[in-house]
Amino acid sequence: MRRRRFLFPLITVLVLALVIMTVAACAQQQPATEGGGEKVVEVTKVVEVTKVVEAEKPAEETIPEGATVINFWHAFGGGRKLLIERMVADYNYTHPGVYVKVENKGSYRDTLNAAILAAQQGNPPHIVQIFEVGSQLALDSGIFVPFEDNAPSWVHMEDLIGGVANYYNFNGKFYSMPWNSSNPILYYNKDIFRAAGLDPEKPPETFEDMLQVCDKIVSSGAAKNCVSWPLHSWFFEQWMANMGAELANNGNGRDARATEVYLTSDAAKEIVNWWKTMYDKGYYAYSGKLEDWDGADAIFVSGQAAMEITSTSDVVNRQRDAAENGFELGTGYLPYPANSERQGVIVGGASLWMSGGHPDNEMKAATDFVTWFTNTENAVRWHKATGYFPIRKSSVTVLEGQDWFQRNPAYRAAFDQLLNTKDTPATRGAVIGAFPEVRTIIEQAIEKVLAGQATVDEALQEAKEKADKAIQDYNKSVE
Amino acid sequence: MRRKTRDEILTHIALIIIVLAVMAPVLFALAKSTQTRAEVYHFPPKLGFGSAGLFNYKVAWTQYDLGLYMKNTLIVAGIVMFFKTLFSMLAGLGLVYYDFPLKEWVFYFILFTLMMPTEIMIVALFNEVSNMAKALGLENSYAVLTVPFLASATGVFLFRQHFSSIPSELADAARVDGAGPVRFLWSILVPISWNAIAALALIQFIYMWNQYIWPLVIIRENEMQLIQVGLRSLTNQQDTTNWGLVMAAAILAMVPPMLIFLLLQEQFTKGFALGQEK
Amino acid sequence: MSTAKFKGKWVPWLFMLPTLIILAVFLYYPVIQTFKLSFYRVAFLGLKTKFAGLDNYIDLLHDSAYHHTVWVTLVITTAVVIIGLGISLAISMLANQKIHGAQVYRFLLIWPFALSPAVAGVVFLFMFSPGFGVVNYLTSLVVGHELNWLGDPTLAVILVIMASVWKNLGYNIVFYLAALQNLNTEVLEAASIDGANAWQRFWHVTFALLSPMTFFLLITNITYSFFDIFGMIDILTKGGPQDATNVMIYNLYRDAFEYYKTGLASAQSVILFLLVVFVTIIQFRTSGRQVHYGG
Repeated sequence: MRRRRFLFPLITVLVLALVIMTVAACAQQQPATEGGGEKVVEVTKVVEVTKVVEAEKPAEETIPEGATVINFWHAFGGGRKLLIERMVADYNYTHPGVYVKVENKGSYRDTLNAAILAAQQGNPPHIVQIFEVGSQLALDSGIFVPFEDNAPSWVHMEDLIGGVANYYNFNGKFYSMPWNSSNPILYYNKDIFRAAGLDPEKPPETFEDMLQVCDKIVSSGAAKNCVSWPLHSWFFEQWMANMGAELANNGNGRDARATEVYLTSDAAKEIVNWWKTMYDKGYYAYSGKLEDWDGADAIFVSGQAAMEITSTSDVVNRQRDAAENGFELGTGYLPYPANSERQGVIVGGASLWMSGGHPDNEMKAATDFVTWFTNTENAVRWHKATGYFPIRKSSVTVLEGQDWFQRNPAYRAAFDQLLNTKDTPATRGAVIGAFPEVRTIIEQAIEKVLAGQATVDEALQEAKEKADKAIQDYNKSVE
Repeated sequence: MRRKTRDEILTHIALIIIVLAVMAPVLFALAKSTQTRAEVYHFPPKLGFGSAGLFNYKVAWTQYDLGLYMKNTLIVAGIVMFFKTLFSMLAGLGLVYYDFPLKEWVFYFILFTLMMPTEIMIVALFNEVSNMAKALGLENSYAVLTVPFLASATGVFLFRQHFSSIPSELADAARVDGAGPVRFLWSILVPISWNAIAALALIQFIYMWNQYIWPLVIIRENEMQLIQVGLRSLTNQQDTTNWGLVMAAAILAMVPPMLIFLLLQEQFTKGFALGQEK
Repeated sequence: MSTAKFKGKWVPWLFMLPTLIILAVFLYYPVIQTFKLSFYRVAFLGLKTKFAGLDNYIDLLHDSAYHHTVWVTLVITTAVVIIGLGISLAISMLANQKIHGAQVYRFLLIWPFALSPAVAGVVFLFMFSPGFGVVNYLTSLVVGHELNWLGDPTLAVILVIMASVWKNLGYNIVFYLAALQNLNTEVLEAASIDGANAWQRFWHVTFALLSPMTFFLLITNITYSFFDIFGMIDILTKGGPQDATNVMIYNLYRDAFEYYKTGLASAQSVILFLLVVFVTIIQFRTSGRQVHYGG
């Protein structure tokens, strides 16, 4: 009798839970045909590629006795993390006596913070991946030693492709070794373009095209939203560069320390106005969180937006998503305002910094690893597996010899965009000490505009004041 | 009688709905944890079990070191549970069964620490522990994760309260028997304090299992990281998040405290919840 | 208390030594250091230090963003306390009925006790994400359009409150159930005979008898909203959108460990500390019982 008293509610609850989940699962079987024709993407071309990247991890390695241990911190997760681990394992295998211990430290911001905290604790890692806008901060911190001073002659910095070399060369010196480099491109879902009656081989090129194409996509019901990209200052910076507008004074901070940012320039206003129009018309969708790359990916991949603007480094991920979700993927250039000439894009991404104060043998091993890690063969491998640029001219030659870009047009759009970039202070990218903080300020201003809490002019004016103060505070603290 | 049955049925229905509502987020996580990436990204969302089976769990456990983080957290929680219980019992013994000068001061000294959660002095504690760890060569060790938490007012007061409620005849008897304080603690107090011990153990386990800000700031090597920060790192990387995997990790991270809770739930209610009332 | 005592002058100190040392070294010392640091400006990655007097406090006093942070903390705390305790008490009373399988219901209601803020954070983040989150899909079916849970300041605060209430449910119900089971039923019966209606019985008898427990839970829920909420905020909203969920502990963490404004962060610590002292004093005044702040 006592038994039953227990069993009844337990069973009821569990059965109900199960029933709900089963019903939910079954309901999914029948595609909801009504409901505004949201379900346009026919899932017919599902390819079984899910398990390519998440393969079995190799057996736990132990650090060989007496080996020089080099700590290498990076910011990558997912497939890139596994690739890095494989590359490092290759290095360790072929370089007895040295053991590179590789660790992931969270996002770019987290990785930089972790390195600075480690330095405060007196034990910085030998090699850290630091995102491009953290460069000035890293340089000022005194934690790192200039890579070029220690690098062996066969590192051949002159082999770096133009855009990459231009970004990371400060006052004629490479303080870090450029590594993962990318810029934003347009990804689009050709199936949705077809459903909307658009030419699937003609992605929009300008801001104005974008509005027209979006009107067709949304009004035809081919997709709920038109385009997604993360609410990230990076895109704002890229559009500024594309219009030839500098972000900061003193030659974008490259002639002398930047002291103010040009957030109230016409170019800045035009970008944010367009962004706002796209949002108000329901064309642009984002996750609601700042710097949320995943959110934008999800909106595009799930077919709720026809296009996504994001990093070239996602080529491999997006191709996989397209195969898994059964749609045809296209790529195009980053759209720009028709009234300005396309100047090109800034190299985004990160470089490898080496901290000082370690024994000579460790410094040497660390330099050797960085040189190896970014050599021609590894640049090719890294490019193919991720979509980041092949950063060396010699690696481009190798890829061309394999007709790689002809065979893989998705990779090509990104690369052409970089090669067609004009070398100006604007496209070299701004150098600002307080850049990480400035980024947040820019993002919050755009967030405010989208939410309708401030006009474009007000928000940008406020952001400029805040950013200028942050920059001046920073400058004061390092002088 | 009729009315009573009807009322009871209504209560059952209400409770079942509430239970399901409370469980819903976890059921959702459970369903998603069995889905492949494509199924997770599917629109409209799929709510049933997916076709990935336990694959996400396997990947989370091996590839993303969830197993390692959980092992670390179990060790850290174990160390704190053991030593905090021991130290708190000893302090309780000293406070209840001895008279000594400055007793009141000691009492307030311990009492005031109730107002000092780690988070409040995180900056200074970070500096202090970093310096100590560097001097002693203990960076990224279990020591930096546990030592600052080995004593607390909660523990001392729990035992002080409990010991005070024990009839004084017991201590008298022990003294007549010629037992010293340590034997008294071990052979008399411990056996009748299991509820209080279990209650403290459960609170400590969950407290340590949920540690977030401290390991986040003090630990620099992933090998020594704890589970909650490990969970954070799955959603916080410069790459696409695999949500099926994150949900699998969240479910895994829920299991140990749930088991301990199941195990100690009854003692906990007796030793702590009720103790609070009296 | 008249408990029999052991003799010994040094022995009690010996017993208390481990506890006293740890409390002194890892609680008192850093608290004093925090006070000291709050009078300094620490510049650039903590590499330079300069005495600044009360500058940090003056800055905070004039900083409207910090006022907002304090305001948000109070709003979230109040909501978590009132909504959380209200729901928990209602559920506890329902589960306290003498029905078949009451034990099972109780267990199925209190397991969230074992949830961590971070787990609650990831699960809610996933459920409420636009694009693939299930909640937005459901709201779009019911209301006709999606809600921007993570992008709208008001909705984001509501989301944090909902996730917190859910996370704390198990804890609150455990204690309420224990208190309800300890309740003197004779009083209730007497009230019932006196002709008090259900509402009067609840308000004047049950709720009154439960007030010590409510008070205890009030403090633990305040503690949660001040400190433990950090993990959830860090994962769910990162303080956004537009600092709408930037509670005091999160702002402090960011100033200390992301912007390296150690002095400013320490001043915030001191303010938070004073708030805690204030809450504790009220608690002692009204109940005289101790409540633990986590550990």
